[in-house]
Amino acid sequence: MRQYALRRLAYLPLIMLVVSLVTFFTLRLPWATDPVLQYVNQTTTVEQEEVIRRELGLDKPMLQQFAIWMGEVARGDLGETFRSNQPVWDEIQRRLPVNIEILVLSVAFSTVFGVAFGVITAVKQNSMIDYGFRVFAVFGQSIPDFFLLILLIVLPSIWWNYSPPVGGHVSFFEDPWENLRLYVPPTLLLGVGGAATMMRLTRSTLLEVFRQDYMRTARAKGLAGRNVVLDHGLRNSLIPIVTLIGGHVTALFFGSLILEQIFSINGLGQFFLVSSITADFPVIQFLVLYTALLVMLMNLAVDLSYALIDPRVKYT
Amino acid sequence: MATQTATQTYGWGAVPRRPGRGRRLLRTASQHPAGVFGLGVLVVFVFAGVFGPSLAPHNPEELSVGSPLAGPSWSHPFGLNQNGQDIFSRIIAGARISLTISAAAIFIGASLGSFLGILAGYFGRWIDYIVQRSGEAFAAFPSLVLYFMLRAALGPGMKAIIAAIAIGALFGGNRVLRGATIIERNQVYVEAARAMGCSEWRIFMRHVIPNVLPLVIVLMSGALGAAILAESALAFLGLGVEEASWGRDMSGTNLSIARTGYWHVVVFPGLAISLVVLGANLLGDSLRDIWDPRLRR
Repeated sequence: MRQYALRRLAYLPLIMLVVSLVTFFTLRLPWATDPVLQYVNQTTTVEQEEVIRRELGLDKPMLQQFAIWMGEVARGDLGETFRSNQPVWDEIQRRLPVNIEILVLSVAFSTVFGVAFGVITAVKQNSMIDYGFRVFAVFGQSIPDFFLLILLIVLPSIWWNYSPPVGGHVSFFEDPWENLRLYVPPTLLLGVGGAATMMRLTRSTLLEVFRQDYMRTARAKGLAGRNVVLDHGLRNSLIPIVTLIGGHVTALFFGSLILEQIFSINGLGQFFLVSSITADFPVIQFLVLYTALLVMLMNLAVDLSYALIDPRVKYT
Repeated sequence: MATQTATQTYGWGAVPRRPGRGRRLLRTASQHPAGVFGLGVLVVFVFAGVFGPSLAPHNPEELSVGSPLAGPSWSHPFGLNQNGQDIFSRIIAGARISLTISAAAIFIGASLGSFLGILAGYFGRWIDYIVQRSGEAFAAFPSLVLYFMLRAALGPGMKAIIAAIAIGALFGGNRVLRGATIIERNQVYVEAARAMGCSEWRIFMRHVIPNVLPLVIVLMSGALGAAILAESALAFLGLGVEEASWGRDMSGTNLSIARTGYWHVVVFPGLAISLVVLGANLLGDSLRDIWDPRLRR
């Protein structure tokens, strides 16, 4: 297990190198957006344009640019943004807490509600409760998350002339109550789609597990129904559930941007969006590397958790 | 009714005749009312997408066809936006954009992805290895990051959107198909074909592919809903195409106006997206139940 984890970790730098190569050269394809064009207007002369290009470090040959960038990253220097000349890391650090909170809350909501409803519907298969939740899940999977978030703003304004707080960020550590009031309703709605998928997955996996012999044995030896379902049933359905949680985290990079957009929160997604439109290379390059690292570490954690969930899974 | 008399002359008495194709279809349909509903919804939207310009009561881009921001009324069932454009007509126009992009993306992505999956499942070894590892690599990329990269490479426009959604669909289905092909590969009929001297390629093209094809259709219909959602989300973020589209009509000034109480400006496009995705999902679920109950989720 430890060896397996170490081997996977040893691959990380190699994959990161490939990711950075691909990112770097895709951005500089001949027909891609030229960042210099963001800073010129009709009165800019060709000479001025060359000066801007030199300031941004884009006048050198591509391979040299890549080597310079790699050297900077290796020294822990992420460069400065094209747009505001601020260090990239400062800009990101400022926005990070917002995204972590959105991610954690949404994943928590979709997992807790999805698994709970999944267990209930599987135990009460073909009852009214089951049908009700399943209809709800189909709708939950079909409504776009941004529509739900818009409704969260629009509906209260029609019904009670009340608009939920929009914009501004209050740190959880300064004022936990105000922070949760701001973040819980939208993240709850952002988790609806995930919860619906999770519910359907949990239900179908559980129903399959219920048919196993060991479930009958567990019942036959007189175990209480709740223990049979939770200790034997749910425990044996955990692998697909954990895999789906990993998928939700990846999908939430999108969801987070949508939430930021609607609630006018200045987060990482927003920063990424603006940077990609203005071709702010240092920011895009770093964010791609950063998300790739995050996702790969998470996938590793998911894979390793299989061995904890199911002792039959052995990594060598 | 020539077939009717033909069966009667057999004289086998109680052997029931297999119902006709139409009757079987009707029976399947009656067992899956949700799927029929989904199909109906999709047909309506495709119809709106194809004949949109001649169906819509107004030109979707025409300004001031009524008083701006007027609520729903008989002449403008979904009301008007702040430019005085008819929202109902814009929704009909949006159907074309949304369905074109998502259908193209699914068609390219799912058919290529399915082919790769079947190829990997049938031939195994290094082909399998390459397909599996690249699938994992793409799965590691959040779709948003992928889209931004493609946008940088291909420039803004329909191409980047279609490519991004297609890549998502490419690796969505190939694992399932790989699994199904591995089961199919070990069936007796493959062995029989091989014994008769068929080449591996012929077995693959003529025997294995037709047997997993229903699964491809199931996967495609299941992915359609997700593709429409992805397209509308991109449009909502202002990353979509320039034409009238549902997602775009729910963002920007429309959204800020909706905050001041003009709910109809954003609610109707949102309902349109939800309805068409619901239709696609219901149809996909039903097709899966009919053709491949193993995949039930």
